[in-house]
Formats: sequence, C-alpha cells, structure tokens
Amino acid sequence: MSKPRNRLAAALRLGAYLAFAAIVVAFALAAPGFLKLGNLLNVLQQSAILGLLAFGLTVVVIGGGGDVVTGGIDLSVAANLGLSAAIYATIIQRGYPDALAVVACLAAGLAVGALNAVAVTVLRIVPLLATLAVANIVSGLEFVLTQNSVVTASSPLLSWLADNGPLAIPVMAYALILVTLIAWPAVQATPSGLRLQAVGAHREAARAAGLPVTAYVAGSYLVSGLLSALAGILSAAYLTGSSPGSSETLLSVVVAALLGVVFSPRLTPTIGGAALAALFIGLLNNGFQLVNISSYWVSGVEGALILFVVACTPAQREALS
Amino acid sequence: MTVASALALRAIRKSFGGVQALDGATLVVERGSVHGLVGQNGAGKSTLIKILAGIHHADAGVIEVDGVKQTALTPSKSERLGIHFIHQDRLLAPSLTVAEALLLGHEPRWPGTPFINRRRLERQATEALRRAFDIALPARALVRELSNAEQQIVQITRALLNQPKILVFDEPTTALVRREADFLFQAIRRFRAEGLTVLYISHYLNEIRDLCDEVTVVRNGRDVARVDARSTPTTRLVSLMIDRSVDQLFPARAPRFGEIGLEVVALTLEGVFRDVSLGARKGEILGVTGLVGSGAKGLAQALFGLARPTSGEIRVGGAAVRAKTPRAAVAAGIALVPEDRRRHGVALGLSVRENTTLASLGRFRRFGFLAARREVAAVDGLIARLSIHTPNAETPVRALSGGNQQKVALAKWLIKGSEVIVLDEPTVGVDVAAKADIYREIAELAANGAAVVLVSSDLMEVQGLADRTLVFFRGAVVADLETHQLDQDRLLTLVTTGRDDRETHVKAAE
Repeated sequence: MSKPRNRLAAALRLGAYLAFAAIVVAFALAAPGFLKLGNLLNVLQQSAILGLLAFGLTVVVIGGGGDVVTGGIDLSVAANLGLSAAIYATIIQRGYPDALAVVACLAAGLAVGALNAVAVTVLRIVPLLATLAVANIVSGLEFVLTQNSVVTASSPLLSWLADNGPLAIPVMAYALILVTLIAWPAVQATPSGLRLQAVGAHREAARAAGLPVTAYVAGSYLVSGLLSALAGILSAAYLTGSSPGSSETLLSVVVAALLGVVFSPRLTPTIGGAALAALFIGLLNNGFQLVNISSYWVSGVEGALILFVVACTPAQREALS
Repeated sequence: MTVASALALRAIRKSFGGVQALDGATLVVERGSVHGLVGQNGAGKSTLIKILAGIHHADAGVIEVDGVKQTALTPSKSERLGIHFIHQDRLLAPSLTVAEALLLGHEPRWPGTPFINRRRLERQATEALRRAFDIALPARALVRELSNAEQQIVQITRALLNQPKILVFDEPTTALVRREADFLFQAIRRFRAEGLTVLYISHYLNEIRDLCDEVTVVRNGRDVARVDARSTPTTRLVSLMIDRSVDQLFPARAPRFGEIGLEVVALTLEGVFRDVSLGARKGEILGVTGLVGSGAKGLAQALFGLARPTSGEIRVGGAAVRAKTPRAAVAAGIALVPEDRRRHGVALGLSVRENTTLASLGRFRRFGFLAARREVAAVDGLIARLSIHTPNAETPVRALSGGNQQKVALAKWLIKGSEVIVLDEPTVGVDVAAKADIYREIAELAANGAAVVLVSSDLMEVQGLADRTLVFFRGAVVADLETHQLDQDRLLTLVTTGRDDRETHVKAAE
C-alpha cells in the first residue's frame, strides 16, 4: 500500500538531483570558466540574498501548509527586501551610522512580518491575498522613501559585506552559510520546528495535540519578515545602495521555496531543500550569463519550474489521500 | 452505591437553533468498565460526546467525573480530567514520522540544547507502541504511509501516553477491516483489565455485545435504556433504538413498474464494495442503505461518476455508460441529487427559476433565446406544487432554507423528466416539514416514470419510501428485499449486523 507512494516521492527527488547534475555538467561543458572556484564562490555570493528570502518563505510554507491556494505563502518578501535596502541607504546617506541603519531595517522587517501575521491570523485573510496586499503597501512605502530612484550609499559595514572575507571567500557567501547553519537545525531539529511542521501539515491535529497553532503561524511570518530585512541589508551592500525593482526577485524566491520541496526526503518544504534550490537558481543565472544567453530567459525557466513543481504536488497529494 | 461512577452525565439538554438535540439524556459509566453507547443517526449520540469533550456546552444538566461535579467543560479541561477521545477521523499530521506524531509536544531533547534527541524520541515511541499494543511499527515511517488501522494505533497510543482515566472511542472501526477491528477489541479488553474506563460508541451492534459490559441506548435526545450488554439480545437493542412515532411523513403511493431503467452488473469499487448487481425499474424507488463505510455511499459515488469502478458495468435503458464522469452520467440520462447540495446540487447565486430550468434550458429556447414566459409559467407551477417556500421565483437560492434548497435541486430533475434519478441522502439536515414535501416530490418523480435510486442511511426514510431495498454491510450487498417484507427491526438488524435473523428468509426474485 505504501510502496507506490514512496516510489513516486523517490522518483521526484531523484529527478530533481539528476536535473541539478545535468545543468551543472551542461554549463561546465558549454562555459569553460563555470567550474572555476572563483566563479562558484561568485554564485554563492549571488545566491545569498535569494537564499535568505527563500528560507523565510519556506518557514511560512511549513507553518501554513503546502496547499497552493489556501496554504502559507509570503509574497511580501521581495517588497520587504526593497524597503529594507531603501531604509538602509537613506539612513546612511543622511550621515547616520551603520548600527542605527541595521536596527531600523530589522524593525521595519519585523513590522512587515507582524502586519502579515495580523492579516492572516486575526483578519483570517487567505495568505496569498493578505501578503500580496501587504507587498503593495510595502512597495508604496519604498517609493515614498526613495521617490522611485536609485539611492547610493557606502559605509564601513556595506563595504565589508560586499568584500571578500578570510580565504578570499566573499563575506556574503559566509553570511549564507552562517544563516543556513542556524536556520537548518532550528527548523529541522528542534521541537519548535517539528511543531511548526505539525501545524502546517494538519492544523486540527496540532490543535488537538495542544499546540498554540495561531502563535506558530504568526511567528512564521515574523521570521520571514526578519530574514527579508537581513536580505535587504545584503542587497544594499551588493548594489551599494538601493535601487527600484526589488519585486523582480519574487518569482525566484517562490521557485526556490517550491523547488526545495522536491529536494527533501519527505517532499515537504525544508531549509536544506530551499538552500539547494537557491543554489540551483544561482547556477542557472550564472551559467546563462557565461554562455551569453539573455538573463530574461531565466525568468522563463523559473516560470516553467513553478508550473512543474506545482503540477507535481497536487498529483502527489492525490496519490497520498 | 458507595463508589462514585467514573463518569456521569445527567439530564443533559441541548438545543441548536430551535432543534432539541438532547432532551434530558443521562449517561452513567462505571469505573473500569467498557460502556457502549448506541442510537440511530440523529438520536443525539454525537452531541452528547461533544458536550463531554467540551466542544458544546449543555443548556442544562449535570456532569460528574469521578463523582466531582464539573461546570463549564472545555477541551483542555476535559483533557486535564483524564478524558481522551479517539475520533473517527484520524488527527495526525501526515508528513510526520510515527515517533514524531506520537510524542509531538513532549519531544525529548539532548540535555542542555534546544535540539530533539531523535534516538530517544524513536526509542520512546517504539517502547510506547510495544507497551500499548505489543506491536513494532517502524518509528521512522511517515504517518501518511500507514494504513488506517496503523494510524489509529498511533492515535490510541498517543492518548495512552497521557495516562487517561477515560478513553472515548467514537466509531473506531468504521475504516477498519474485520481482523484489524478484532485486534482493536483485544487491546480495549486489555485496557479494561488495566483499570481504564472506556466509552465505546458504535453502530455495529455485534461489536457492542462482544466488547461492552453495559450499553446505553439513546433515541430522540433521551436515554431510553441502560442494559447489560452481554445478556441483551441484539433484537432488543434494535427495538429500543427505533422510534415508532413517525409515520404520516410518507405519501401514499400506487407504484406501477415499467421496464428496467438502471442496471448495475457485478460492479466493484476496490476497497469500497465488491460485486454489486441491481436493477431499478421505471416507476420504482429502489432504496440503498447501510452504515458509514458499508459501501452504500460508495455506490452513489460510482453511479455519479465521482469514483471509478474497478470492474463491472452500469447500464441505462440497456446501454452501457462508458466514460465514468458526472458529465457522462448526466449525458446517459442519470440525474444526480448529491448529498452536499451546496457544492453540487444547486447554484446558490442563481435564482429559483434559473436553478430549476438549468438542466433543461433547451426546452425553453426559441431562436436561441430563452422563452421567458413559458419558463416562468412552468417554474411557478412547480413552486406551488412542491410548496417551495420562496418570496418569488427570482429569489436567489442562497436565501432559502436547506429543505427548500433541496426541493429546488429535485425540481430541476422533475422539470427535465430524467429516466434515472439517483438521490444521495436527500433529507440530511432538513426539518420535518420540508422532509414530507421532499418525500412527496420523490414519489412524484417515480410516478412520472423515473427509476429512482434512493441512497440513504435514514432507515425510516428507506422503509417509508422505497419499493425495494438493498442493504450494504462491510462492502457487500447482504439483502435485496421487497420493502413490504421489511420492518424497522429487521432492517436495522441487517444494517448493523449484516445478518438476517428471520426464519422467513425470502430473497426477492429478480
């Protein structure tokens, strides 16, 4: 009875790893510099922002459940990143120190997360719509702050973040590794992480087990808000300031979080899966650049990946019911 | 008595929006016993259990646990008192492992860290399963990979970890096969031997006799008897459960049967029912009944094209229905009135008129446009004839009561004149007055020459309305009888035990 289900899950996972490997081999053959250490570190650096956002979204999907329509999702992560970068750049430009900018960014990120949490848990709006609306509000705030123009900023912290660290590895690569090393065990190996997963997988069961369901769901949006703000700081460092157009990363984030599902043994969203998926997308972007294919094609590939993953999950769910 | 009962609910009253669900029901369960609770659908069993669980609050009455009077039970308070529930639907997160699901909320950690000690988690889970059921479920298996019975074992073990004083089982064997149910009974007997008090709710009366010490029978919101489970014959329980006061609900009929309208040959739906054959003649009402999980409901779904049979054939007017989808079923001339009328039976936003003529717009069309006057006249006639309570024909169906919505759902097929009409639980959640109207409507559908299949768990309804009745029990048809050969006792016995105790064992001829 359980055999076909497992086979389907295993096939999906194997397919995902094979696709990953195939892409790497293809780019390695087509673009000579692709496998060089320097380039791979570059990919790691470029994936940091995407990775942090994908972790946040993953936490929300874990706690809200995987249903594409009614489950947990946070569409405000990209806008939140934009606002955070704008706040950071503006504060630096006006001559205030890094510490104040960091605190302001984290506070703003948490506030956005709290707004999402209220919309979803108190007003009981479907997360898909609630976070879309919040994303609009947040983008509006960013425009008000920056007048929809580039705000350049340089500061000691931003320069350090954009630079290479020890062993000539970019600091942002370290940042991604560090956050992964914190988030992975926190989500996959603590009681809180397990309970969050239980809340998302079967809310009634979690309630029957005596878990504070609403607190877990609300908490997931706060985590996502905080990680978006951190990503915003990295973005301000990478672009030496803030520039409009942050919302374009949203698609990549959704791909990373959803694709992370097929990388995980239980076919559930996981931090490890999201990290792999973020690297996968980073490699795609990088490889396309190296073989001189327009980066606009990446959007197409990402869109196709979303369709693929989402198409797999209902089939999967049907097989499980 | 000097020793207080483990549990006592006395003279409990509860009404929902004017409907008296419980009207002075009493349930007393002695410590260390297995107590059965039986009654027909709607008798008030589940309301009583929900009050005990703290989900509903009684309007009046007393609840005592271990002789201590309790006011205002809530789910968490009920749990603190040591009362735990094993619900029919398994409350377990599918993507957790057995060990995680068992110990969710009480996960062991590595000392001094925030991290789960998986090795201990799995050892504790294995240990708990071994102690409770003496079985070895793989602690790392995902819940969604388990069978129904295994999931139930996990859930019961989870309840046992909380050291309950009273375990309440609500229809636990519905999704289990015979062997699994026997395994469950052994476990329950062992729990009793260890001093646990068990309240056991079931439709299966032979389970009650095998397992329980005492049994309380509820009917119409009251407890009508508390008897010794072993010495009381099933027939006695059956007659206690039957309400003999309602009769005038059903229309007088003089059925005239034509040729076979619907024929089902050796139909099997894997895991639901097997090898079912039936024939419904034009003008006939064929009743199909059985407990939840007996397969009666599955037959309705197969006829609707909602479930795909593994083998066998469905024929309408002699022609096999090929593609098994609702659309194909309708195209073949099968009209469907599903149980969930809000989802499938009526379009809530459309008016009474639009809903009524939705399936037969072709008849009211002229030059491609709707011939409004003829349509309105036809619908107004129906509204009057069926006493559909609506301000007018243009009122959205959303504004009508459940019973009147159902009348609209039926009127749709009455106006179309379908040959085969399948009704799935047509009067669930409908008040008595509307019931009588719906019964008249069903009788009229048959009188107009339709073959009507009435799938219903309301035995009164089946007996009062059907010309012939098929009884399902655990996936098989155990009786196909002319309804006049059936009385309520015999029907209820068949439904709850799968056996026909009559000596006059007359099988209806084809």
